[in-house]
Amino acid sequence: MAQPEIGKKTNTKVEDQSSLKGTLASVFLLGFFLIITWVGVYFLFLDRF
Amino acid sequence: MKSVNTIVDRRDGKLVMAHFYVAFIALAIGGLAGLLQTLVRSGKFELPSWTGYYQILTIHGVVLGLVLTTFFIMGFQLALVSKTSGTLTAKQRKTGWIGFWTMTVGTVMAAVMILMNEASVLYTFYAPLQAHALFYIGLTLVVVGSWIDGAALIMAYASWRKANPGKPSPLLTFMAMVNTLMWIVATIGVAATVLFQLLPWSLGLVERVDVLVSRTLFWYFGHPLVYFWLLPAYMAWYAIVPKIIGGKIFSDSLARMSFILFLLFSIPVGFHHQLTEPGIDPAWKFLQVVLTFLVVIPSLMTAFSLFATFEMYGRSKGATGLFGWLKKLPWGDARFVVPFIGMLAFIPAGAGGLVNASHQLNQVVHNTIWVTGHFHLTLATSVVLTFFGISYWLVPHLTGRVLTKAMNKLAIIQGVVWAIGMTFMSGAMHAAGLLGAPRRSSFSTYGGSEQAMEWIPYQVAQAVGGSILFLGIILMLYIFINLAFFAPKGEEEFPVGEVSDAAEKTPMVFENWKLWIGITVLLILFAYTIPFIDMIENAPIGSKGYKFF
Repeated sequence: MAQPEIGKKTNTKVEDQSSLKGTLASVFLLGFFLIITWVGVYFLFLDRF
Repeated sequence: MKSVNTIVDRRDGKLVMAHFYVAFIALAIGGLAGLLQTLVRSGKFELPSWTGYYQILTIHGVVLGLVLTTFFIMGFQLALVSKTSGTLTAKQRKTGWIGFWTMTVGTVMAAVMILMNEASVLYTFYAPLQAHALFYIGLTLVVVGSWIDGAALIMAYASWRKANPGKPSPLLTFMAMVNTLMWIVATIGVAATVLFQLLPWSLGLVERVDVLVSRTLFWYFGHPLVYFWLLPAYMAWYAIVPKIIGGKIFSDSLARMSFILFLLFSIPVGFHHQLTEPGIDPAWKFLQVVLTFLVVIPSLMTAFSLFATFEMYGRSKGATGLFGWLKKLPWGDARFVVPFIGMLAFIPAGAGGLVNASHQLNQVVHNTIWVTGHFHLTLATSVVLTFFGISYWLVPHLTGRVLTKAMNKLAIIQGVVWAIGMTFMSGAMHAAGLLGAPRRSSFSTYGGSEQAMEWIPYQVAQAVGGSILFLGIILMLYIFINLAFFAPKGEEEFPVGEVSDAAEKTPMVFENWKLWIGITVLLILFAYTIPFIDMIENAPIGSKGYKFF
């Protein structure tokens, strides 16, 4: 009996609609921004005091 | 049983609009004062002889920082409760009107004293600067009026709870309750300093005032004041913006939890405004700095929740990739775009706040114009743009009109103009502050000092930004007047977000006010009792009043 489906590769990508990877990336970017600002002024402090 | 209203009752609408009229008159007056300040500080403009920089600065701070905010917030919260918990009863509405008129009379009294140059003490009215007694009485009435407004809200909440036993209150009503309770607990501090210290002193009943105690009581109130401004913006971000974009609230419980954390941690933190203040033990400053950093938690929870709401919506519309969901957001809708600009501004605003609250870093920026730049991002951008975004649908909703396409477009332009103006003004303030430029100071070359010369280009940039912002204020006032009086009749939606189906059930513990107020009081007692005993036991003789105006 023919099995036409077996071995046939499909390239359809299914995006998970419940994925929050963009949120994860966004909060990381936000966190980095907070840290960079803080460290920037901290070095200004070390330089001045 | 009361049900959720589709339209806010007209009688409640009038009460809300009364608050908004005062708020937007304040915007016009305070905005003009702000423009004049930036022009003076550029060094290219001088005020006429009958007024002065510090009088204008007091008008700007009091009218925008205290009047615009309190009136808008109280009006907005009344609208939220009327919409989500049902029309106010006649008694509740009457209480609201008494609150409104008490605040208005107080505002007029304080404003007259400032205009007569009897109270150029800036919006923080620090002793030993001494204003006319009527200024303090006026401000007291504003606070008392806000308590009466708050009582109307609490009564409305209580009647909803009575009619709906065992159920969590509507999210927006709950949020308005948290903000009202925080406001009541916080304003006890400012009421205490005004009634027991500043008023008797300005009336001549006592000769001297304890400056440290008065400043500490002010900042016990002053920091939660910031959150009193911010939480209504968060209400819109958490529970209204999701509806506007067509999405869902990420989690009801997370939103409530973050509001409760703000209630707990926004009050016992006033010392982070007094880090360079002598007379307070550094150990207690350290404790309050730690508590301040705990406020970062609900702020980051909010950021996460908003990103998640936007991403979930975008993906439900077929967005792909890491940031594809951003493209799906309604960039043509002013009700979304204007508060969104406010959200973006909160990122650098929050970063600056972490710097301010860190003891060592505070020494780099303390009393510099960096601080002014900081709260023009928090209050004058994040909060105010969200208030404008709210007005774009709430004002026509209350007046039975609609936001037309033309007005929507103008509103987006308004938001963009504001963002450009603030980038110039606040950016230049931050930069000049790092170079040591002082805040609360009129133009001066400080005897031609080289360092002061470095600040001047930034001061010119502030004037450019201030002028652009004033254009933004004119646009806002034009749109407000249109929406209140001239826009076509119709029905504008009052957007109230629905919770995502995937969210967990809301636990009832959030409504346990005895628990939350109990913890709030304990934290306050812990953070303030011993420092206050120290201050009073080791008090100097106090200061006489000074009037430099």
